[in-house]
Amino acid sequence: MKNKEWKSYSILISPTVIFVIFLQFYPLAYSFYISFQEWALTSSQIPQGFNYLKNYNDILNDSVFHRAVKNSLIITITSVFFQIVLGVILAYLTIGSTWTIRFIRTILILPMVIAPVAAGTLWRMLFNSRSGLINHLLIKVGIVGPEWLSDQTWAVISVIILDIWQATPFVLLVVVAGISSIPKDFQESASIDGASRFQTFLRIDLPILVPLLLIVFLFRFMDSLLNMDSVYSLTFGGPGYGTYTLTFYIYTLGLRNFNFGDASAASWIFMFFSIIFISLIFYLQKKYEN
Amino acid sequence: MSIKRRSFIKKAGVYGSGLMAANAASMMFTKRASAAKEITTTFMKSGTYDLAAESIENSFEKETGIDLEIITSPWAVLNQNHIADLTTGTGEFDVMSGEFWIASVFNHMLPLDGYVNNSGYGSTIINRLWEPGPSNFFNGKRIGVPHSADAYSIIYRKDIFEKYNIDPNWTTWKEYLYTANQLKNVLKGQDIAPISFAWGAPDQAAAIFLGAYDGMMVNSKGEYELEKDKAIAALNLMMDTANYGPSNAKALSIDESNAVFLDGKAATLICWPSFVRSSADKNSESNVVGKWELGNWPGPGFPMVSAWNLFISKYSSDPDSAWKWIEYHGDSERSKQFMEDFGIGSPHRTTYEDKALLRKHGHDYPGMLSNLSKAKSLPWIFEAYEVFFRNVGELMSGNQSSSETVDIVHEAWSSIKVPAALIETAESQGLKG
Amino acid sequence: MKISTKINILSILRWLILSAALIVVVIPLIYLVINSLKLPKEFLSVPPIIFPTEITFEHFDKAFSGKKTLRALVNSLLVSSITTIITVFFATLSAYGLARIGFNARILGLIIILFLLIRYYPRVTTVIPYFVIMKNLGLLDTIWAIIIGHLGITIPFVTWLMLVIINDLPKEIEESAMIEGASVRQRFIYIIVPITSPGIAASAILTAFLSWNEFLIASSVARRKASVLSMSVASYVTDKGILWGQMAAMSIIMILPMILFALFVQKYLIRGITLGAVKQ
Repeated sequence: MKNKEWKSYSILISPTVIFVIFLQFYPLAYSFYISFQEWALTSSQIPQGFNYLKNYNDILNDSVFHRAVKNSLIITITSVFFQIVLGVILAYLTIGSTWTIRFIRTILILPMVIAPVAAGTLWRMLFNSRSGLINHLLIKVGIVGPEWLSDQTWAVISVIILDIWQATPFVLLVVVAGISSIPKDFQESASIDGASRFQTFLRIDLPILVPLLLIVFLFRFMDSLLNMDSVYSLTFGGPGYGTYTLTFYIYTLGLRNFNFGDASAASWIFMFFSIIFISLIFYLQKKYEN
Repeated sequence: MSIKRRSFIKKAGVYGSGLMAANAASMMFTKRASAAKEITTTFMKSGTYDLAAESIENSFEKETGIDLEIITSPWAVLNQNHIADLTTGTGEFDVMSGEFWIASVFNHMLPLDGYVNNSGYGSTIINRLWEPGPSNFFNGKRIGVPHSADAYSIIYRKDIFEKYNIDPNWTTWKEYLYTANQLKNVLKGQDIAPISFAWGAPDQAAAIFLGAYDGMMVNSKGEYELEKDKAIAALNLMMDTANYGPSNAKALSIDESNAVFLDGKAATLICWPSFVRSSADKNSESNVVGKWELGNWPGPGFPMVSAWNLFISKYSSDPDSAWKWIEYHGDSERSKQFMEDFGIGSPHRTTYEDKALLRKHGHDYPGMLSNLSKAKSLPWIFEAYEVFFRNVGELMSGNQSSSETVDIVHEAWSSIKVPAALIETAESQGLKG
Repeated sequence: MKISTKINILSILRWLILSAALIVVVIPLIYLVINSLKLPKEFLSVPPIIFPTEITFEHFDKAFSGKKTLRALVNSLLVSSITTIITVFFATLSAYGLARIGFNARILGLIIILFLLIRYYPRVTTVIPYFVIMKNLGLLDTIWAIIIGHLGITIPFVTWLMLVIINDLPKEIEESAMIEGASVRQRFIYIIVPITSPGIAASAILTAFLSWNEFLIASSVARRKASVLSMSVASYVTDKGILWGQMAAMSIIMILPMILFALFVQKYLIRGITLGAVKQ
């Protein structure tokens, strides 16, 4: 630490550090410790001793866990892909500062601010195959709507649609911010040189957007994986295990079955994945910058 | 915003936060200072139990001088809070409402035998409901008294049955399905389905299964197990019922399946009566007023019962006052009133035998009494139940056969420890191998 | 001629797509409003009754009967604003400290990853230990329990965001002030804060959203006195069916403040995210 003023800086940092240690590190470390023990809150009030890797083993061999991971990956990868594509397209269509454009952009942001719990229940009404709006409108154009929430395939699609609806605005916001910061002269000089709009996009916009999109991708991917409120209110993980995601799995273990040993182990398996994924994204970012 | 203004706002923020922290701290202290008799009770937020309790809150406080705090939460949060409270010894709740779902924490409840014997509570309660199972016991001692009871039932369109001369007196599920077949034939061309049921509501699947299944649920070793052949037969029968439902049978939720019957588009409805009864009798909410009757629940299994019990926490600082509330709330006249006003099923025999009420309710009260008298409470903890209903969901989605379902369920159940209280429940209700 | 037709087609395409997007966003919200005014018996009719034959305010009436909803509304407002103020204050300070303390880039990178890891951890397992901590502090069923729970999530995140922003500020900005003898405190208040104010605004807005909409922590430590709106909406999904009308009404009560808030601050949000996101 070569900085002479490090004492003052330390004072600034310390409240946060203390706070984060108590409220985040401590529970995290504690759950890591518990993940190697046998403990179901309903059997006993204290952990029952180390069973080493048994919890991890049980979970990794659990077919329900496999199903949950599969569901989570399908839902997250699909919806994040569409969110980014749609977000970028919509961002480009809403650049500008005319009143109309700004108004449209403002409206498009709205789904992002709605609580996932409320959004889930709203779309549950919309997706109702008999009395909901979507099938009602589909019939008007001659299509018989599917069983959105009680057919396993369509239930997954419903969850994906909900996720896209709620999160695309975030991508839109960030990309608009990113594009707005590109100096206009870069683009102008490129078009003077005869480059088409698309070529400008590739050569000038994209390089600036890529690091941005990497971060957005990271955020959206992790948020989508961790999201439970909307699946909970939309399908409750069903039908059967149809939309039973990883977070649902962990939630059931922890707050329904109160099996803390297993829930902690499952959380740390998730954490293991997060560490790899987040580090990967940062590595890609660094590499791209060079 | 100018720099000075910003830093002022920051200072104000810090100061304000400090004030609020001080306020919170003072609240902490005043909380411990109150000395009046005060108890906290919980109910499920459902538009029924919670409203019923709140409707007598003031009169209770006036009559007993005990300060009552009613806390209501949705089902999942209610159970989560109860378990968290008891297992951490917090003791925030004095009286808790729950059922066999929280059997794993029954050891934290106060035995009520003393209170019950001294007050004669229970003398008017339907026998079956006063026995272990619907009444919650632990280690042979009573820890809960039921304050409401609802048993799965089948209600049917008397007018349709009379018109086509069909017999509504089924005693087994096979006979019921035979009747459904008859209905299917005579109702051809009409927009009326023989059966309506919430096949699409994942956690209701067990209702029909348990009606058709008469084997064990807990084996002699105290583990969850079903008799495979009987279970497969019961699952197949349950799947078969969906063939007699409306076109979108497998997607129906509870309120939708009820709406089908209330709209007049079903000949029979398998349901929780407390949800449907009062609407079915109102012209503004149903097209079948005066046309329906509550029938027999077919065997050889049993109708599932939802019997909410009230418990007293071991950590309660005032169990006597807690009992006063239980007594006040569970009084048979009050239960009768709750049934009229909120549709909550009364656990008292006297309600269903009341001559004045029978004049109005000759079409449902007798059937309800009969079903409640043979109802059983499940020996499943939620973990076991969830495995069951999610796998039934997989079965209904066509992902696995009945035989595979039973195997998968058994496999998942093998790692679940059955709470002692539920082994007792299974044994006393004849569900143990 | 050719170019202008091409531009016209592109223009039409643009407005078509935008209109479609607007419809997809707005129609569900309108539907929500319609449902909140529908008679209960019209919810499950087949064929569906989309527009109510009769408008009823009974759902809003029931929602506001008694003090519960009002209390939840007030609590939500208190929790969100207090969380936001505390978060922005402490996180910005720490971000400045971390950025300037002289850690090398590797360690800083590690810290950043650490903060993100904390944010992206399944919070389910921390809920019960948190409940126990709150119980031991006697804070159960107080808004402070919820606030502290939220701070655990928002402070690391905002610290991360502001750290990235401040880190990318050219050092020369402060150098001239340092030469003139300005202290850490003075440089922070008079230089850093004004320059990063869009980022601060964006952080404040995002924190407010997060806190207002959060459900898991709130439902674990709040009972009656500290209940918040997110719990109210969830409570209409009972195990015996859904009270659609009331749920719609309550959803509107919960969504509306956030929508109004978003409409007012969206300008600052964009400006703020620019600072943080682009200069990674």
